[in-house]
Amino acid sequence: MKKGLRWKTLLTVAILGLCVFLALPIREKIKLGLDLKGGIHLVLQVMTEDALNGETDQEILRFTDLFKKNSITYATGAKEKPGKFAITGLDADQQAKTKDLIDQYTRDWDTSFMADRVNFTLKPTAVLFLEDQAVVQTLETIRNRIDQFGVSEPLIQRQGTKQIVVELPGVDDPEHIKDLIKVTAVLNWKLVKGGPAEDEATLLQPFGGTVPEDAEIVRGDPKRGHPGLYLVEKVATIGGKDLRTVRRGTDEWNNPAVSFTLSPEGGRRFEQVTGANIGRALAIILDNKIQSAPNINTRISDSGIIQGQFTNQEVEDLIIVLKAGALPAGIKYLEQRVIGPALGSDSIRTGLMAGLVAILLVMSFMIIYYRIAGINAIIALIFNVVILFGVLAYFKANMTLPGIAGLILAIGMSVDANVLIFERIKEERALGKNVPSAISLGFSRDFTAIFDSNLTTIISAVFLFQFGTGPIKGYAVTLIISLLANMFTAVFVSRLMFDLTIPKTATKLSI
Amino acid sequence: MEIFKTLPQVKFLKYKYIALIITAVIVLAGMLNIFVGRGLKLGVDFGEGTLIRVIFKNPTLIAEVRKQLEDVGLGNSPIQELGKNGREFQIRAVEVKNIKDENVLESHADLGNKIIAALRGTDGQSETAQGLKDLNSIDQKSLASLLEPAFTEKGAGLAEQVLSARKNEANQGAFADYADLSRDGVPAEVVTFLKGKTFLGKLNILSLESVGPQVGKDLRKKAVLATIWSLIGMLIYIAVRFKLANGVAAIFTLTQDVLITISLYSFSGREVNLPIIAALLTIVGFSINDTIVIFDRIRENQKAFRKMPLEEIMNLSLNQMLGRTFITSGTVFLTVMALFIFGGPVINDFAFCMLIGTIEGVYSTIYLACPVVLFWQKWFPSKRARR
Repeated sequence: MKKGLRWKTLLTVAILGLCVFLALPIREKIKLGLDLKGGIHLVLQVMTEDALNGETDQEILRFTDLFKKNSITYATGAKEKPGKFAITGLDADQQAKTKDLIDQYTRDWDTSFMADRVNFTLKPTAVLFLEDQAVVQTLETIRNRIDQFGVSEPLIQRQGTKQIVVELPGVDDPEHIKDLIKVTAVLNWKLVKGGPAEDEATLLQPFGGTVPEDAEIVRGDPKRGHPGLYLVEKVATIGGKDLRTVRRGTDEWNNPAVSFTLSPEGGRRFEQVTGANIGRALAIILDNKIQSAPNINTRISDSGIIQGQFTNQEVEDLIIVLKAGALPAGIKYLEQRVIGPALGSDSIRTGLMAGLVAILLVMSFMIIYYRIAGINAIIALIFNVVILFGVLAYFKANMTLPGIAGLILAIGMSVDANVLIFERIKEERALGKNVPSAISLGFSRDFTAIFDSNLTTIISAVFLFQFGTGPIKGYAVTLIISLLANMFTAVFVSRLMFDLTIPKTATKLSI
Repeated sequence: MEIFKTLPQVKFLKYKYIALIITAVIVLAGMLNIFVGRGLKLGVDFGEGTLIRVIFKNPTLIAEVRKQLEDVGLGNSPIQELGKNGREFQIRAVEVKNIKDENVLESHADLGNKIIAALRGTDGQSETAQGLKDLNSIDQKSLASLLEPAFTEKGAGLAEQVLSARKNEANQGAFADYADLSRDGVPAEVVTFLKGKTFLGKLNILSLESVGPQVGKDLRKKAVLATIWSLIGMLIYIAVRFKLANGVAAIFTLTQDVLITISLYSFSGREVNLPIIAALLTIVGFSINDTIVIFDRIRENQKAFRKMPLEEIMNLSLNQMLGRTFITSGTVFLTVMALFIFGGPVINDFAFCMLIGTIEGVYSTIYLACPVVLFWQKWFPSKRARR
């Protein structure tokens, strides 16, 4: 054997061996996409305005506080829209002082002074930053919740600027998961001032018909057997962030409940408030709905329970969301796909059937038409499929239903290069060239055509990958890998097989 | 073996004007159909709404399914029978209108649940009231916890066995009878146990997909962008590798590929979903593949026969490559045909689109790519040719 040929053989065997090693055992190494495996695919959008809204509210409080401390007179601070507010009723004489103060305290807000007011507008860069942060935090919170829930191999990733994709293989209860993800999980304990009452008028009667400045109206959660309206203090006694641990517990009637312990600081505050308000009701508010409002019977320091006629499932979910933390912004679902496991198995069966038929058709055609050279092409084709699986396994790419279609199509397309070369060899033979030089010319002359045509198809597949989603990405990946492998197998490997099997002195060629 | 014993002598380009007219007629008819006529049916991916695939345990008539939906006022939802055994159906829930943007998806999903409830009817209600579980829609976790008390430490394994029997080729997602379990090798004592604790509901939901309006809009935009960018990519690549004339010709050709395929597809009344975009881009790739092979041969022949007029060179090249064209489009056509027949409903539309495209791709190379280059050379002769 010639030295060059030996190296080429070695290289081919090495690549093939590597790919076989990577792809085996195939059931474990080739990951199935959601459409074949079954599971839930959710696309949700983060309502980033919520984050801007919260930031604006906080800033209004911060600046009015600041004005108070520095004895700057003002009337009100009011939000115009998320990221825009105004403080009015300023004294014209204090303008310069106010300006200095604001410049000292903020870089994120643009300000403009008018006669007796100052307008605050959040800078575009700050808006982008806040929005981005909201999405990142939401992503993390959702990931924490899913992790606590326990799903194997979940995929949770950002898509575009404000969207998040959640893929959960093997889960088939979308409503439950959706609720688990969507609940904002803002938990607060607030002292009850009045209620429950059926309507606002009755509720506010003892307070002269208006809501006191330090209070707010919160609705009870009918699911928990607490319909009606409550009047509670605006300032929370403790909140979700004061919790140190949460676990499953029971209330005094042995109903499922969540028992918690508090951080030292939260415990001190809780002890102080409960000690001073024995006999009053303390509302437990989750996402602005009152879960329960038990009376304070005794001073409580660092632990307690959250009760509210929960089912076991609800207690479990509540523990998950409390452990994972609150969402920084609300979310909205855009897309929801639930694929049952039976559909996936069916798709695999039909896909394999189609693939098998396609391979057999192509193979028998190649053998009938090109005889021994056809076998050469078939071996190249098999190499192509092996390399495809090896690379898919290496990149942990998912096999999807369109991916199977891509694979089958690639089988049809990959013989194109062989056909081009074989036809050229025939032409050269017809022109009277001897066997070795006809083979050599066949491979060299058509190389550019093969290279160009594969590359342009790859170009379109790359854009398909770029803009496609889920299963379509799988299709694009399969096509790209297989076309790249094709340039190796149809040109290099196929040539090598000719060189190895056809002696230099051959006068006949079975093609 | 040879397709042609001697080099064929077809004067392909003699018919270029007739071909251009045929192309124009097809595209015009297609565009009329799309924009004025029935329009392109957008599937759930690009439109919005809910798509449900359901399998009944017993063969059911489509009229019966429709009747059940009519009873709840959803009789106008398109229903399609899938598979050959009359058990599997696909229902597209009609669009929900006049709903606040935030809640659109929720209402789509609710509509889906409403349809499922309508299909179930009163089936299983009395059994559920007795505390029995539906073995045809139970998930693995619940089944395992149902089996565990009776079969200690075997619950999970048995649940997996039962559910993999449920999704095998014979049952396809729903058991018709408990005998099916025994046939698929579930131990007799387990079957007896399940008979006491479960019932066989009339259907199982294979998939339930709801897509809101925003996603459809995003996907439409992405599909158009992907198509346009890949056309631009190819124009640049071919203009660099060949001449500008070839690049321009390729773009015309590919645009025609997309237009003709969409036109013919629109007449089929099939829905456009994401895989159709994949098919279109594959057709584009396949067609350009063919075009490049011909261009490459033309370039080579131009060097060999300097005196021959371009049109004759093109005819010669097309004839030289005719065998190859037949064979390669033939093998792709065979594989696509296999997908079309055996690939199942999701792949079927894709394969149908590819069937059109495979033939169309060859046609467009001969009757658009070559004529455009020809016209271009006539209108903008290169300096060397003028001299």
